[in-house]
Amino acid sequence: MTNNDTGYIKRTLPKNVGKLGIILFLVGAITGSVGFFLDPARASYSYLNSYLFILSIAVGSLLLVAIEYAANATWSTPFRRMSEFLASSLPLLILLVIPLLLNIQNLFLWSHSEEVAKDHMLQAKSVYLNTPFFSVRVFVILLIWSLFYYLIVKNSRQQDETGDLLMTKKNNKLSIIFIPVFAITVTLQSIDWIMSLESRWFSTMFGVYLFAGITCSALAALTFISVMLKEKGYFHPKITKDHFYSLGTLMFVFICFWGYIAFSQYMLIWYGNLPEETFWFMQRWKGGWKIVSLFIIFGHFLVPFSVLLSHPSKTNFKKLKFISIWILAMHFIDLYWLIMPGMNGNGLNFSFSWMDISFLVATIGIIIYMFNRMFEKYNLIPVKDPKLQRGLDFHL
Amino acid sequence: MSLDYSEDMVQFTREPQLVELDDLIAKPVETNPSKKYFLALTFTASLLLIGIICTGITFYFGIGTWGNNQTIGWAFGITNFVFWVGIAHAGTLISAILFLLRQKWRNAISRFAEAMTIFAVMCAGLFPILHMGRPWLGGYLMPYPNSMNLWPNFISPLVWDVFAVSTYFIVSLLFWYLGLIPDFATLRDRSKDKIKKIVYSFFSLGWRHSNRHWRHYEKAYMIFAGLATPLVLSVHTVVSFDFAATIVPGWHSTIFPPYFVAGAVFSGFAMVVIALLVVRKVFDMENIITLNHLEKMNKIILLTGSMVGYAYLMEAFISWYSGVHTEQYSAINRAFGDYAWAYWTMVSCNAFIPQFFWFRKIRRSIPAMFIIVILVLVGMWFERFVIIVSSLSRDFLPSSWTYFTPSLIDLGILIGSFGLFFTLVLVFTRTLPVIAMSEIKGIVKGAQPTHNGGAN
Repeated sequence: MTNNDTGYIKRTLPKNVGKLGIILFLVGAITGSVGFFLDPARASYSYLNSYLFILSIAVGSLLLVAIEYAANATWSTPFRRMSEFLASSLPLLILLVIPLLLNIQNLFLWSHSEEVAKDHMLQAKSVYLNTPFFSVRVFVILLIWSLFYYLIVKNSRQQDETGDLLMTKKNNKLSIIFIPVFAITVTLQSIDWIMSLESRWFSTMFGVYLFAGITCSALAALTFISVMLKEKGYFHPKITKDHFYSLGTLMFVFICFWGYIAFSQYMLIWYGNLPEETFWFMQRWKGGWKIVSLFIIFGHFLVPFSVLLSHPSKTNFKKLKFISIWILAMHFIDLYWLIMPGMNGNGLNFSFSWMDISFLVATIGIIIYMFNRMFEKYNLIPVKDPKLQRGLDFHL
Repeated sequence: MSLDYSEDMVQFTREPQLVELDDLIAKPVETNPSKKYFLALTFTASLLLIGIICTGITFYFGIGTWGNNQTIGWAFGITNFVFWVGIAHAGTLISAILFLLRQKWRNAISRFAEAMTIFAVMCAGLFPILHMGRPWLGGYLMPYPNSMNLWPNFISPLVWDVFAVSTYFIVSLLFWYLGLIPDFATLRDRSKDKIKKIVYSFFSLGWRHSNRHWRHYEKAYMIFAGLATPLVLSVHTVVSFDFAATIVPGWHSTIFPPYFVAGAVFSGFAMVVIALLVVRKVFDMENIITLNHLEKMNKIILLTGSMVGYAYLMEAFISWYSGVHTEQYSAINRAFGDYAWAYWTMVSCNAFIPQFFWFRKIRRSIPAMFIIVILVLVGMWFERFVIIVSSLSRDFLPSSWTYFTPSLIDLGILIGSFGLFFTLVLVFTRTLPVIAMSEIKGIVKGAQPTHNGGAN
């Protein structure tokens, strides 16, 4: 089925990939539902963690697509479809967020009117942090993201059929609008879902921090999948080590960026030493959290930094696979570290729970299933994209 | 049947010949300057003279001649320092970061931007020295085992600043010089004047354009670019720590590091655009420094300006969200207090005006961009002024709340720093090639050998 002149042959993944996705999802969803039944408060936190993980990959991938269009990048054009596939769970988030909204009371102190009445700080914030406004914000932002996903991806797919240049121009415009919209919305989401868990804490850098993590994880997911597909021979033969070198470099850059943001945020709060800010980090330095904090410094920055620093390692498939899974895991742990300690302020005592894993399993199932579905339906590379040839011919 | 990306790739509006390039670029260096040049030099040197006189007055009478007062201990001095350090960021961004990003269009403008970096750091470096009031004690900023057993206060971000800026200056200078070596050799080979020949020979370090030289050069250039990249980002980060590490409301904000870096690139690019607009016209280099280059720079100005706008939004929002009264007060005071005029100048020049660059026509219109980038510079100067002065003017002790009025000496030194900067730029255009000859040849058609015979 060669439907183009680039030499790309469409194939489908083995059947059991889709099955694996469904099985993972079912296992996770069933055990997770049991969790919600047994301990709804604890389950909400686990669910939030996994929800933000899938959100990171989905919206981060859409951002990568948008950046490619906005910057007129050509080397990444052969990879663009994979980011589009990874972003395909974005509209699903509208459904997935419902259990969280039903459990707002379990997550956020500011949603309890009797607590707000006692605390003047919560009263001061109640204009922004209240259940109706919060829910509207969440839905509107998810709708905006889904709309952009729908429009950009529709144009991109339509181009596969028609080869219409207008589609690229349309997507350029959409992407340029999406990027500032993304900056604002992702900041609001970071404040809503994470910062307001400990409603007294505040940091102007926080949106940027989450953005850095999101981009790292989206790039890592893209790298992992493209290396796998390349190794198994699904990918275009003209994709060379130079392409993977560029992907690795991009991951390296965002790891450094994450490290920079994380360090600056910590350093400034530590140096300023104001109790209204430091308590957040103190919370994460108590008991076992100390180990997690240290592990994040090493795992989210130093390990990927040293692995990706040299030129050969960015083209070594084994290392790329390892480090991209590592970065994804670290992003999950980072979210865990951001979310879970907030529990103590809400009258719960944190302890590790099997639910943390079950929701993660369900999330991975969804990503695999959606990817496989998209893979069956659409071409793996944008076959008639005007930039494709330049992208395939890319050499350092 | 392909989207027209050719326009993005055009490096020259008229493809130059290799010989022609050398002649064109070396012309300002090899010919005697015109009357206009001397007029311009006289003008900038007079500005510089004003600065020198005011500096002399400051040294003689002390900091009391400035407008600084009891609570507003930092005002023009530090504002100018941060402003000039910010300007210095564009050069390394263009020469190192765009190099690592394989943006070939940088080749035409990198030399000039780097030179501006070095001059801007020089201007910046003056202000902390002047601000000390006892400039002869400046040596104590450097940690060395001296007879007085005095060490700088290592936990102070101000000391980190000294290290960051001086390291940055040294690395930028070396990076610039490294790029100049092949050009020095070209000038040496071309020059007929004996003294010039000796000087250029000295600086070209025996460069013979041999294959081996080039290999070492390329490697060194890559390493320098890799080193300069984290360095350039760290400099303004450390400058932002000067403020953010304190607990002064309006200064203590975690977003300061990336926000300052974005602002620095923003103002630096604005300054480079201004200078390039003049240079390309005066030296007939319009086909090398094309509208495409300027448009790309304007896009970066739009991007970084919007980042700065995002930071303004975050600061305002989080100061409300924090629920901390002092934070809320400092935000309201900035926007509606005594310095509201400065605040709104800053917001409109930095966040709103660059939004005009969304339109391709404006990005490519020389008069429009000239006005916009000048406003950007004004806005970025005011940004530092607003941050520093508005926060300091509202001390924790309301009885010492006060207003800052600059003295004539303050203004004179500011004018003088512009004089110094532009004098150095003018001298530079007549002594060194303003475009990197060797680099620009690398992107002329046919210069890059390919497997299929240059057919792309």
